[in-house]
Amino acid sequence: MRITDKLKDQFGRIGRESAPTQDSHTPKRPTSTVPGVRLGHDLNSKVPEGDPETAWDRRRDEYRLVSPLNTKKMTIVVVGTGLAGAGAAAALGELGYDVHAFTYHDAARRAHSVAAQGGINSARARKVDGDSLHRFVKDTIKGGDFRAREADAFRLGIESVRVIDHMDAIGAPFAREYGGTLATRSFGGVQVSRTYYTRGQTGQQLQVAGAQALQRQVTRGTVKLHTRTEMLDLIVDQGVCRGVVVRDLVSGQVWAQPAHAVILATGGYGSVYFHSTLAVNCNASASWRACRHGAYLANPSFVQFHPTALPISSHWQSKSILMSESLRNDGRIWVPKKTGDTRPAAEIGEAERDYYLERKYPAFGNLAPRDISSRAAKEQIDSGHGVGPLANSVYLDFSDALEAQGRETIAQRYGNLFEMYKRATGEDPYQVPMRIAPGAHFTMGGLWSDFNQMTSLPGLFVGGEVGWGYHGANRLGANSLLSACVDGWFTLPFALPDYLNPLLGQPLPTASDSSVREAVARVEQRTASLLAVGGKQAASKFHRRLGEIMYRGCGVERSRASLLQALAEVRELRAEFWNDLSVPGSGAHLNQALERAGRVADFLELAELMCTDALDREESCGAHFRSEYQDDGEAERNDQRWAFVSAWQVDGPPQGTPGDLVFTRHAEPLDFEAIPLATRSYK
Amino acid sequence: MPAHTRADKAATAVVQVGPPPVTNKRPQRNHLIPSWVLKVTMAVTGTLWAAFIAIHLFGNLKVFQGAQAYNHYAHWLREAFYPLLPKLSVLWAMRVVLGLALLAHICAAAMIWWRGREARGPHRAKIRGARAWGAWLMPLTGILIGCFIVIHVLDLTLGLGIQSAGFAAPISDESFAYENLVASFRRPAMACFYSLVMLLLAIHVAKGFTTMASDLGAMGRRWRATLALIGGLLAVAILLGNGAIPILVLTGVLS
Amino acid sequence: MKLRVEVWRQADPTDRGHFETHEVDGLEPHLSVLEMLDALNEQLIDSGREPVAFESDCREGICGACGVTVDGQVHGPEDNLPSCHQRLINLDDGASVRIEPLRSAGFPVVRDLIVDRSGLDDLIRAGGYVSINAGTAPDADSLPVGEQQAEKALDFAACIGCGACVAACPNGSAHLFTGAKLAHLSMLPMASTERQRRAHSMVRAAEELFGPCSYYGECARACPAEINLNAIAAFNHERMLAGLKRRL
Repeated sequence: MRITDKLKDQFGRIGRESAPTQDSHTPKRPTSTVPGVRLGHDLNSKVPEGDPETAWDRRRDEYRLVSPLNTKKMTIVVVGTGLAGAGAAAALGELGYDVHAFTYHDAARRAHSVAAQGGINSARARKVDGDSLHRFVKDTIKGGDFRAREADAFRLGIESVRVIDHMDAIGAPFAREYGGTLATRSFGGVQVSRTYYTRGQTGQQLQVAGAQALQRQVTRGTVKLHTRTEMLDLIVDQGVCRGVVVRDLVSGQVWAQPAHAVILATGGYGSVYFHSTLAVNCNASASWRACRHGAYLANPSFVQFHPTALPISSHWQSKSILMSESLRNDGRIWVPKKTGDTRPAAEIGEAERDYYLERKYPAFGNLAPRDISSRAAKEQIDSGHGVGPLANSVYLDFSDALEAQGRETIAQRYGNLFEMYKRATGEDPYQVPMRIAPGAHFTMGGLWSDFNQMTSLPGLFVGGEVGWGYHGANRLGANSLLSACVDGWFTLPFALPDYLNPLLGQPLPTASDSSVREAVARVEQRTASLLAVGGKQAASKFHRRLGEIMYRGCGVERSRASLLQALAEVRELRAEFWNDLSVPGSGAHLNQALERAGRVADFLELAELMCTDALDREESCGAHFRSEYQDDGEAERNDQRWAFVSAWQVDGPPQGTPGDLVFTRHAEPLDFEAIPLATRSYK
Repeated sequence: MPAHTRADKAATAVVQVGPPPVTNKRPQRNHLIPSWVLKVTMAVTGTLWAAFIAIHLFGNLKVFQGAQAYNHYAHWLREAFYPLLPKLSVLWAMRVVLGLALLAHICAAAMIWWRGREARGPHRAKIRGARAWGAWLMPLTGILIGCFIVIHVLDLTLGLGIQSAGFAAPISDESFAYENLVASFRRPAMACFYSLVMLLLAIHVAKGFTTMASDLGAMGRRWRATLALIGGLLAVAILLGNGAIPILVLTGVLS
Repeated sequence: MKLRVEVWRQADPTDRGHFETHEVDGLEPHLSVLEMLDALNEQLIDSGREPVAFESDCREGICGACGVTVDGQVHGPEDNLPSCHQRLINLDDGASVRIEPLRSAGFPVVRDLIVDRSGLDDLIRAGGYVSINAGTAPDADSLPVGEQQAEKALDFAACIGCGACVAACPNGSAHLFTGAKLAHLSMLPMASTERQRRAHSMVRAAEELFGPCSYYGECARACPAEINLNAIAAFNHERMLAGLKRRL
C-alpha cells in the first residue's frame, strides 16, 4: 500500500482535500473585503470532544505508540534548535528515534530563545496567592483576547509543571528563595506570582540547558546535528511531507534529508519589520516554504509590539534592542503637550508634560499591558508629540524615582539596563529621561496546527513561535518560553508517535524519487534566479524599506487605508526586488548576500499576506488594532463574526516569476467553554 | 545493464541524499602527560623551591650579624644533624631533591609553553594588564633565574670559572662563605646581576603563588587571597633581603 | 563620520588571507562595530562585490554568535563587551580601524571574519550536560538549593559561548569556558551527581582541542559574560577532585 493511501486510511482525507467540516449548523464565515481573497472551509481542530480541561489527558491516553525497539527505524527531521527544536530533538532522541536536527547557526545554543529576559510561567500554583490551572488558562486566553484555542491553553498549563522540574534538573539555575525553594515573580497582565526566572537571562539559561541536552543525544548517536545548514524546501510526496532540502552554508552544497516526519521549530517572523527585537538572522523562510506547500498560516497579522524597545536613531542601526519591561515599574512615561516640541526634556516644565498613560489608564498607569502601552505611544508619536532626533519616541523618565528612592536604589534595580542604554544611545538615563518606542517583538500568528501540533500538511509538525498556538491575539509575558518548552519537551514527543505508528516499515524516499529530485531542483532553481537578477541593490536595502512600509501600514495600529497602501507598496517593492537585486558571488561557497536575499524574498511575500489578513479581519483584538474598530481607544472585538482563526492557504507562481499570489482563507471556529467570552478592560 | 537504469543513475548522482561527508578537521593533540598534571607538578615543585628560597633568605640574613655568624651557619649546613646523620648528608639530600624539582619544573614549563604556542597558532595575542605581563614574563624570568642558579653555584659553591679571585673552598671544620661573598660582590657587574635577578625572582615568586592557587584549584576567595599574600610577602622579603646584600657590599657597608 | 576599515579577507580555510582597505562614510559614534560592517557590506554588494562574511545574530550581547578582533583586541576596545556592544565612540572621524577574525589555532577561519568554534561544542559533548530524560526529573522544590548557591551557579552559567576567552588567550586555552561549565553544573543537585565523570572527560577534551593555562587572565578581561577567573580554579579543582575520588 502506498504511504499516502495508508495515511488516508488513518486520517481520512488529508491535506488540501481535507474534508470541510462546515455543515448546515455552522454559521457562514464573513466574506472578505480584500480583493482576490477566496473563502475556504472550516478546519477541524481535532480537539477531543468534551471538557477542554481534560482534553489533553484523554488525548494522551488515545495516542498510538511506536515500540522502543522500532523507534530507531523512524527518521525525524527537526528544523531549528531553539527551546522548542532542541527540546523536541532531545526528547525524541531520548526515545531512540533517528533524529536529524538542523540549524543555520554555528552552534545549537545560539537560537534567539536566548534573548528572552523575563521568565517562564508555570501553573504550579504552590503559593497561597490564589493561582490555579484554571486561572492560568483564564489569564492566557483573556490576555490573548479570546483568539486562541482553549484546550491548547489547558495543555500548556498542565505540562508547565514538569517543564520547570525538567529544566531545573538539566541545568537551568532558577532563582531560589533563602529556604532553597524556587523563587517566583509576577509579570505584566496577571495578579499572581507564577513566573520562574534566572535573573534577566531566563531564555539563555533554558536555551543553553536545552542545547546541552541535545548535545547529549548527539553523543549517544540518536541525534545528528547539522550546524550551518539552512532548510530551504520540503520534500512533499502527494500532499505528505517526507523530508527537507537543506543547503550547507559553508560549502553551498544542497542536499536532501528524507524523513518520516518533519518538525519546524524555526521561530517567529517579526523580523519582517526589519527593526525588531529579533536577531538579525531570524527569518520566515522555513515557514513560508511550508506555506507554499499547503501548510496554512494562521492569523499572520497578529504581531506583538514591545512598548519599551529602543527607538531607531540612525540609518545603520540594525535592530531595536529590548529594554526590560520592569523599567515601567519606576519610570514615568510622558511626551510634551505641545506638538513638535524640540526643547530638551529638562526645559519642559511639569505643566507642559503629558503623562498620557497615567491620564488614560489611571488604574494601571505606566504598567498598562504591552499592546495598550504600545498603541498609546504610537498615537502620541503620530500626533506630533514624539521626542528625540527623529521625533519617533516617548520619554521614560526616572527623575521622580531617583528623587524619591535615591540613585543607589535605582542603580541596584536597573543599573545594568541603564548602562546598556547609555552604551547604545550615548545618553545617561540618570541625567536625561530614556527614550523608548514600540518595536516589533513576538508573532502570535504562525503555521496553523491542530491539537496534535500537526499542520495542514500531513507529516509536518510545529513547535514554539513558528506555530500559532496558545497566545491568540496577544501574548502574555513569560508565556513564550513556556510554550516553546512545552511543545518541544512535552507535546511533540507524545503526538509524533501517533502519526508515525502507521508508517512503520515504510521506506524513506531516495535519490531516485521524483519528490526528492523536484525539491532539490526547486532549491537550485531558486538560488539560480536570485543570483541571476544582476541588479544594483543589496537585499538588506529592500528589507529596510519593507520594514518601513510594514511599520507604517501594518504596525501597532492599522486602518483600511494604511493597509491598502502597504499592500500596493509591498507588491511594488517585490517587483523592484526581482529587477534590481544584487547578489555577488555564487552559490558554491559561504555567501551571506545570497542567504539574506532568499530570506528577504520570502519576507516580501509574507508581508503581503500579513497585510491581507489585517485588512481581512474587520475587528480589533489584542495586538491587532484596526482604527476603524474601536470604542474610544479600546480594541473592539466582534465575536459574532470573527471568533475564528484565519488560516491562510497560499498559492501562486514560483518566486521570481510573474504572477500574483492567491490567498484562501480557511477558518477554525473558536468555542469558549471554561473561560466565557468577556471584554478586556484596563481602564 | 539496461540503458534507462544507467541514465537514472547518472541523474541521481547529482542529488545528494543524506549529509555529505565531513571534510575539515580541527587540530587535535593527544598528550602523553596531561597539561593539568604538568601544572600541578609546577605548582608543587615551585612551592618546594619557594620554601627553599625562604630558608636560604633566612640564612643569608646572618650576613648582617657579621662574618663569624655567617661562616658558622654555612659550616653548620654541611654538618647538620651530625652525628644522627652523616656529614654532608642533609646538604646532598637537599641538592638532589631541589635539583630534581628544578628539572621537573623546567621541563613542565617548557612543555606548557610549547603547547600554548601550538594551541594559539601563528597570530600572537595582545598582552595587556599586569597579570598578563606577569604571566608573559614567567618563562623569561624563569630562564634568567635558571642561568643565575648555574652562575651562583659556579661562583660561590664550586668556585669554578667565574669565581672571584679570592675564592676559598670550605675545609673540614671551617667555611669561608662570607669572604667569598664579599669578594664576589666587590665586582660591580656581579653585584648588579645578583640584584637584578633578585628582582626577577621576586616577580616570579609573586606571580607563581597566584598561579599556583589556581592550578591547585583553590576556589575560595580567602584561600586565593592568603596564597597571593604569602607570595607577595616572600617577594618583598627577597627583594629587600637578598637584593640588598650585593648593593651593600658594593657600597662598602658590608666588608 | 568616516572610517578607514582594514578588514581581513580569506576565501576559505586554505587561503592565506590578506587585509583589504575600504572607506566607510555616514557612520555615527553610537553605532556598533558590527553595524559598521553592515554599512561596509551594503556598499560592497551595491557595487557588485562580495560582502565581508561575519557572524552575528541577536545584536544584544546574549547569543554569543558575534566576535571579531578590533585593532588586535578581542571583541573590541572595551573589556567585557561583545562586538555587538562595542561602539565606534572611541574612534575619531577619519581614523583607521583594523578588523580581523578571532585568532586561535583552535578556531580555524571559515571565511573572512567567520571562524569555526565547534571545538566548544565538542567540549559540551564531552560531558557538559545532565543525563536526565524528559519527564523523569523530581520536583524542583524538593531539591533545595541555597539562594547564594543558585546565584553562584548562575555567575558561571552566564557564559554566552562566544569563544572570546580562547581568542584572547596567548595559549589558546579554553579553561575559562570549560571551568565555567564544570563549576556551574557542580553546584546544582541533580547535575552534580555525574560530576567526576564530567570533569574527567571535559578536561581531557579541553586539553586535546585547546591550550594549557598560564594564568594570563586575558580571558576574564575579554569575557562578555564577566566570568570570573575562579572558573579556571574550578577546572583544576574539579579535575583533581575527580582524580582523588577515583583513587579512594
